[in-house]
Amino acid sequence: MTVTLSSYLLVALILFCVGLYGALRKRNAIIVLLSIELMLNAVNINLVAFSKFGLNAAVTGQIFTLFTMTVAAAEVAVGIAILLAMFRNRDSIHVDEMDSMKR
Amino acid sequence: MDASLIIFFLLGFLTIGGAVFMISFTKVAHMVISIGVTFISIAGLFVLLEAEFVAVSQILVYSGAISILMLFGIMLTKHDASEDEPSKAQPFWLTWIFVAGLFLIVAYGIYSTNWNVLPPRQLDPNVSNVKEIGVEVFTNFVVPFELVSVLLLVALVGAIIMAKKEDKD
Amino acid sequence: MDTIMQYAWLIPLFPLLAFVLILSFGRQLKEGAAYVGVLLTGAAFVVALMTFWTRFQEGATDYSFAIEWLRIGDKAINMGFEVNQLNALMLVIVTFVSTLVQLYSKGYMHGDDRFPVFYQYLALFTFSMLGLVISPNLLQVYIFWELVGVCSFLLVGYYFYKPEAKAAAKKAFIMTRIGDVGLFIAIALLFWATGSFDYSEIFNAVAQGKVAPGLITLTAILIFVGAVGKSGQFPLHTWLPDAMEGPTPVSALIHAATMVAAGVYLVAASFPLFLASDTALNVVAYVGGFTAIFAASIGLTQRDIKRVLAYSTVSQLGYMMMALGIAGAAGYVAGVFHLMTHAFFKALLFLAAGSVIHAVHTQDIFEMGGLWKKMRVTGIVFLIGCLAIAGIPPFAGFWSKEEILGAAYAAHRMDLLWIALIAAGFTAFYMFRLFFLTFTGKGNSAGVDKAHESPGVMTLPMILLAVLAVVAGFINTPFAPALHHWLLDSSVGGYIVQKYGEGEHHAASWVAVAAILVSVGGILLAYLMYGRRSINSESVAKGASVLYTLSYRKYYFDEIYEFVFVRLLKLIGLILNLFDRYIVEGLVNLVTAITVGIGALNARMQNGQVQTYGLVVLVGVVLLVVGLTISLTPLGGVLLG
Repeated sequence: MTVTLSSYLLVALILFCVGLYGALRKRNAIIVLLSIELMLNAVNINLVAFSKFGLNAAVTGQIFTLFTMTVAAAEVAVGIAILLAMFRNRDSIHVDEMDSMKR
Repeated sequence: MDASLIIFFLLGFLTIGGAVFMISFTKVAHMVISIGVTFISIAGLFVLLEAEFVAVSQILVYSGAISILMLFGIMLTKHDASEDEPSKAQPFWLTWIFVAGLFLIVAYGIYSTNWNVLPPRQLDPNVSNVKEIGVEVFTNFVVPFELVSVLLLVALVGAIIMAKKEDKD
Repeated sequence: MDTIMQYAWLIPLFPLLAFVLILSFGRQLKEGAAYVGVLLTGAAFVVALMTFWTRFQEGATDYSFAIEWLRIGDKAINMGFEVNQLNALMLVIVTFVSTLVQLYSKGYMHGDDRFPVFYQYLALFTFSMLGLVISPNLLQVYIFWELVGVCSFLLVGYYFYKPEAKAAAKKAFIMTRIGDVGLFIAIALLFWATGSFDYSEIFNAVAQGKVAPGLITLTAILIFVGAVGKSGQFPLHTWLPDAMEGPTPVSALIHAATMVAAGVYLVAASFPLFLASDTALNVVAYVGGFTAIFAASIGLTQRDIKRVLAYSTVSQLGYMMMALGIAGAAGYVAGVFHLMTHAFFKALLFLAAGSVIHAVHTQDIFEMGGLWKKMRVTGIVFLIGCLAIAGIPPFAGFWSKEEILGAAYAAHRMDLLWIALIAAGFTAFYMFRLFFLTFTGKGNSAGVDKAHESPGVMTLPMILLAVLAVVAGFINTPFAPALHHWLLDSSVGGYIVQKYGEGEHHAASWVAVAAILVSVGGILLAYLMYGRRSINSESVAKGASVLYTLSYRKYYFDEIYEFVFVRLLKLIGLILNLFDRYIVEGLVNLVTAITVGIGALNARMQNGQVQTYGLVVLVGVVLLVVGLTISLTPLGGVLLG
C-alpha cells in the first residue's frame, strides 16, 4: 500500500483551511501574511502531487510551483515593506485598524 | 507497510501540526518558528513526491528567506508583539462554519473522485529532476521565466522604496 | 316676428357684460358699480320683456338654436338656447327681480367696503340664472345649475368675517351639492338611455317608449332630488333658513325669487319625463305637500324676521312642487303660476324686511314694533305682501293658491287639498304675526326709536313689486285663464294635454271660499294674539309647550343631521384617518424601513475591514461550490431526494 493522491490532497486541504482561518481571524498583519503563505504552500503541494499523479502528469506542475514561490517571495517582500511603512506612520500593525479609506 | 507511508504520515503530521500551532500560539516569534517546521515538512513531502529541486527551493525560499524576512518584520515593528485577542471584525463562529464548510465540501470532492484511473508518472532514471526542469524552463517557459525575474526586480525596488525612511525635509 | 326671439341669447350676456365690467373696473367704479349692474340688467329685462311679448302673441312658435359643441362617436352634444313659454316667463321674472334687487341694493349696501364685489356676484348670478333658464339641454342646465350654486355660496358667505355666515355658506353649498349629485346621475342616465341631452329629444324618446319605465321613474326622481336640494325641500331644507346670513337683497333675489325656484323650474321644464311615471309624480306631490305644511309649522314660532320668511319660502316652494306633482293641466299651470306670483311677493317681503332691518338694526321681531308710523311705505308694501301670500283676493297669491287648491280638488287628491288648506292657514297666521309684531304695538328697543323710512332707491323697487303683487294674479283668473291656455300651448304642455286633456278650470266654489276663510281665520288669530293681544301668546306657547318647542327648534332637524350624518362622517373620517396613519403610512414606513435596513446591512458589510471582505468572498465561494456540488454531483441527488 502506497501513499495515494487523495492523501496529499487532504493534507493540502487541511493546510489551506488552517491558513484561511488564520488569514480571516488574526489581527497581527505578519501572522496574516504567514497564513497566506500557508495557503500558497497548500496549493504548491497540490501542484507537485498532480505533477506526479495527474491526468497529464508532467514536470510542468513543479515549474509552476517554482513560479508560485517566486511570486510569494515578491509578495512577502512588498507586504513586509508596507507593514514597516504603516508601522512607522500609525504605530500599529493590526489588520482591523487598516481601514483609513473607509473613515 | 510501505516505508514511504510512514514517512508521509510523519511529514503530514508535522506539516499540519506546525500550521495548527502557528494559529494557536500567542507569541509571534513562536508562530514563525512553528511555521518554519511546516515549511520544512512540506519540503519533505516534495521529496516524497520525487520533486527534489522544488523541495530544495522550498527550503531555500520559505524556510530560509521568507521566515527570516518575517522575523525581521517582527523585530522592526513590535518586538514583544503577541496575538492576545483575535479580530472582532466579524463573529468567530461565522468564519469557523464557512471554513469548515469549505473543508467538508472539498473533502467530499476529493473522496468522491476516482483518482485510480491516473497511473503515477514513470520517471526516467537517467534524467535528473533538475535537468528536466531546467530544460522545460528554458524551452517552453522561457518567457514566463523572464517575466518573473522582472517581477522580482520590481518587487525588490518597490519594497526598498516603501520601507526606507521618508525624508524629513 | 321671430326677430326678437332670435336675439334672446343677448339676455344672459348683459349681466355677463356687467360682471366683466365690474370685475375689471370695480376699484375705479366703487359704488358706481350699481349703475352698471342696474342698467345692464335693466337692458336684459327690456329684451326679456320684448321676447316674452313676442312669444305671447297669438300664433307665435318656439324658437331654438344650437351649435354642435362636441361630438362623441355619433353622439353630438349641442350648445344653444331656446325660447318657449315657460322660459320666456322665467326670463322676465328673473331679469325683473334682479333689476329691482340691484336697484334696492344701491341703498341697502351703501357704505359697504366690498360694494363692487357684491354687484359682481349679483351680475354673475343673474347671468348664470338666465343661462340656466334659456338652456335647451340638460348638460348646459347642469353647468349653469352649478354656477348659480357657486354664486349662492359666494353671496351667502358675503359677510365671511362672521362665523355664522361662513358656516351657512358651506352648509348651503354642501346641502345643495347632495341634490346636485342626484341631478348629475339623472342626466348621465338619460344620456345613456336616449343618447342626447336635449329636452326635446329626451321627451320624444320617452313618449315613444324607448326608455324603460323603471328608468324613467328613477331619472325623474333623481332630477327631483336635484330640485329638492336647490329648492330647499324636505329633507334638504335646512340650508335655506341658514342662508339668511347673507345680505337681505341676496335673500330676496336668490333665496326667494330665482335660484330656489330653479328646482321648481327644472321639474316643470322636464315635466314630460315626470308625466311618464305616476310614481315620480306622487313623490313630487307628497314631498312638496309635506314640505309645505312642515316648513309652515316651523315658521309659526321663529323669532328672526328673515328666518320666518325663509321657512315661508320653503313652504311656498313645497306648494309649487305639490301643484306640479298633482299634475293635470291645472296642476302644472298652477305650479308655474305660483312660481311667478311668489317670486314677486316674496321678493317684496324680503326687500321690505331688509328695509326694516336696515332701519332698526335687528332681526328679532320681538324687539320691533310700532314701525307703521315711522316707515309708512315699507309698512304698506309689507302688508300688501302679507295679504298676497296669505291668499286674500284680489292679490296675486290668492289666484295662484286658489288654482293649486282647485287643481288638487279637480284631481280628487283630498289629502293634498287638506294639507294645502292647513298650510295656507299657517301661512296667513305667521305672516300676520310678523306684520303685527313688526309694525303695530309699541317699539321696545333702541333701534325702533331711531328708525326712519328707507331712501327712495330702496322704496321704489318695493313699490314696483307691490304693484305686481297686487295685479300679477290677473294674468290667470278663473274667468280669464290666459296663462293657462298659453302655457298649455307649449310643447311641454302638449304632453300634458295629451295625457290629461285641457283641464278647464272647474274648481268647486267652496274650495275658494274655504281658502279665503282659512286665510282670514289665520289673520284673525294673529291679530288677536299679536295685534290686540287679547289672547296671550305666551300662555298658548306654554299650553302646547312640546309642540312649541318642536317647532321653535325646527323639529331638531339640524341636530338630527348633526348627529346622524356629521357625527357618522366624522367617525368614518376618524377611522380612515387612523387607517391612513397606521396602515397606509405603516406600509410606507415598512418599505422605508426595509430599504434603510438593507442599506444599514450593506453599510455594515462595507466596514473597511479587509478580513470581513475576505469572509464575504469565502461565504460566496462556499455557497457557490455547495450549490454546484448539490446540483451537479450524486451528493445532490442524495440530499435532494
